[in-house]
Amino acid sequence: MSQIETFYEVMRSQGITRRSFMKYCSLTAAALGLGPAFVPKIAHAMETKPRTPVIWVHGLECTCCSESFIRSAHPLAKDVVLSMISLDYDDTLMAAAGHQAEAALQETIDKYKGNYILAVEGNPPLNEDGMYCIVGGKPFVDQLKHAAEHAKAIISWGACASYGCVQAAKPNPTRATPVHKVITDKPIIKVPGCPPIAEVMTGVITYMLTFDRLPELDRQGRPAMFYSQRIHDKCYRRPHFDAGQFVEAWDDENARKGYCLYKMGCKGPTTYNACSTVRWNEGVSFPIQSGHGCIGCSEDGFWDQGSFYNRVTDLTQFGVEANADKIGMAAAGVVGGGIALHAAVSALKTAQKKTQTSKEEV
Amino acid sequence: MSDRQLLVGPFNRVEGDLEIALDVREGRVVEARANSPLFRGFEMMLQGKAPSDALTLTPRICGICSISQSAAAALALADAGAVTMPPQGRLAAAILHGVENLCDHISHFALFFMPDFARPVYAGRGWHDRAVARYTAQEGSAVRPLIEARAQLFHIVGLLGGKWPHTLAIQPGGVTRAPDARDRIRIQTTLRAARRVLERELFGGSLEDFAALGSVAACEGWTRGDVALFSEISADLGLEAIGVGPRRYLSCGAYPLAEGRVTRSGVWEGGAVSEFDPGEIVEDVSHAWMLGDAAHPAQGATLPDEDMAEPGYSWCKAPRLGGRTVEVGALARQVVDGHPLALGLADEGSVRARIAGRLLEIARTVLWLEDWAAALDPGAVFMDPAPSLREGVGVGLVEAARGTLGHWIAVEKGRIARYQIVAPTTWNFSPRDAGGVPGPVEAALVGAPVGEGETTPVMVQHVVRSFDPCMVCTVH
Repeated sequence: MSQIETFYEVMRSQGITRRSFMKYCSLTAAALGLGPAFVPKIAHAMETKPRTPVIWVHGLECTCCSESFIRSAHPLAKDVVLSMISLDYDDTLMAAAGHQAEAALQETIDKYKGNYILAVEGNPPLNEDGMYCIVGGKPFVDQLKHAAEHAKAIISWGACASYGCVQAAKPNPTRATPVHKVITDKPIIKVPGCPPIAEVMTGVITYMLTFDRLPELDRQGRPAMFYSQRIHDKCYRRPHFDAGQFVEAWDDENARKGYCLYKMGCKGPTTYNACSTVRWNEGVSFPIQSGHGCIGCSEDGFWDQGSFYNRVTDLTQFGVEANADKIGMAAAGVVGGGIALHAAVSALKTAQKKTQTSKEEV
Repeated sequence: MSDRQLLVGPFNRVEGDLEIALDVREGRVVEARANSPLFRGFEMMLQGKAPSDALTLTPRICGICSISQSAAAALALADAGAVTMPPQGRLAAAILHGVENLCDHISHFALFFMPDFARPVYAGRGWHDRAVARYTAQEGSAVRPLIEARAQLFHIVGLLGGKWPHTLAIQPGGVTRAPDARDRIRIQTTLRAARRVLERELFGGSLEDFAALGSVAACEGWTRGDVALFSEISADLGLEAIGVGPRRYLSCGAYPLAEGRVTRSGVWEGGAVSEFDPGEIVEDVSHAWMLGDAAHPAQGATLPDEDMAEPGYSWCKAPRLGGRTVEVGALARQVVDGHPLALGLADEGSVRARIAGRLLEIARTVLWLEDWAAALDPGAVFMDPAPSLREGVGVGLVEAARGTLGHWIAVEKGRIARYQIVAPTTWNFSPRDAGGVPGPVEAALVGAPVGEGETTPVMVQHVVRSFDPCMVCTVH
């Protein structure tokens, strides 16, 4: 499709300077856990390859994923990625309205047949023939299937699209169904979290736009670069867990000292996500840092695992390093497939560790 | 021109999905029906869960006003358990909530409302070039700095609440994070930076000056910043006469601090404010795809009608106060609070009044936030223990960006037996009630001009957006 402009051309037309462009390339490389050697490769790819069109659709959802996305850390990364998306279709942010918007969607599908990425926020409810979520007079599930038919790949944004999330909590009144149970013939990349961290979202989409392929996925279909470690593994309160120092009640003396929140129901030991490394709101903090345990929002079915304030129950002992690791392994077994990914993505992990080290040095 | 029917939707640049059916006669809307076509069933999911789970479940109703939902849930649980927050906990919760409300107002102006004036349909108007330059979706020169300021403001929520959206920090007994002296300075610095951007980009003058405007004429005489651009557009298009609401305003009073709510609670009508009695709320379901009878939310049920039978046309219930519609939102809050500019706009009740009310609240909220941040005392208690709840009923009323939000909870044997939520847009975008009385936005749309051949009438867009609908909250 030679008529599609390159990434670089898109950026230039957005008034982004060469200098900023190169900065963007190195930031992207860092965010993705790639070394400096990849910077010229990313730059070259962006200068020569036609940009990948993106269609962003919304099902049963709360729009928190979009909200997270538009606050991503590096304004340039956000602007660039957003500007590329905006050329195509996104019904929360785009300028067109109503039927115009529907026409724009169809036009994008026709124009980039087989070549676009479909980003799905939310999920389709299947009860009552999908009548609980109507977009443009038709059930969202129809729009989803229609848009997916000619998509190159699908991104399932957030816990809703990936696993069903809150609307699928018991009794799941609308039979809200994750995307991969409706679309079965396309590569699907799951970016779970409620919402996912903005930097994770931009990182994933930039990787796909830049390299024109899916990032490496774990067995659950999540990008390994962001979901290969438990919150617990890199939690800054981990030493207190290992030392057996716990918060016993909200805002007690131990809470002020920043002790471990395990007894307050923290799900960090069983949750795979990048919160404790990337953090939230431009790296400011994350739930554990604000004194509230992790609720495990990036894990499948996290709504129906008992109270968020009950401690993880299948642990017999804690406070000792060896047992803590056992706990982690058992938990990974429960969520399914966590362990296999450790081996599968060692290369990327190594690369990411390097980045983390260099970040710490800065 | 012949009569016709028009289905406007899906609306983009609103939170969630919305469809509006219009009957048009002689170039004017004569009847409107608002449909919220997205239903998830939160109230059904909450039943049987541990009461504290409401604190994590209800924020997920909405990705842009999640703190409002979490604050309402915390208050409802506190009420049911007879728990009170310590004064500093209230202050921290107010800062979290105030930042979210402020950010919502900024997004509404920059992302949702103003871009419509950059449409080609307005080409040739004296202000069109400036509207295009400043507010073209995603590209306008005002959009980027305002959105960036918003992201910066959310650092405060990051500091106090760990993450946004879906912040977990607000609990019935207080907040989980006791800020230290360094956090306080960071909050104050962030607020100063936000103030600078707002004064430069939006107001073209000091927030104090804008907050001190005493009349509509004084507001019209504000000649600086994008406020003036909006005034010029509004005067040219006659937005002061379009989209007139019920002119009955409800506010439960925003930000419950130890010394009382920061804005007054009450119902304004015809120049007089009367007391707001939550006991007078009834949710009518005659035109909703819901089964059951009209009921007070403390007794209400959520039983979706799978047949979607007539005369229902929306998943939204129709809340009424003393049997009548009320408008909620920034304008309502400012009117009930008795701000002179808002009082001047109250009778007008138009598109312009709503936008001006929101701008006024942007200015006032920054000033409040600055005071609250200065009053933070890092050594104080931010949370008192709340015993786990076995039995009880409670209500939590807060002012979200878009208006009054209420949660009603009943707990039996340590489990949630009933949970009902009435959200701001449920009030504003309610369908007709049993008496056939249309909801506020349905009524406000009557009389809106529809040009020949217009399929997405631009005036209808202005009216709908002036309410800043949040459809994911409306039906939940």
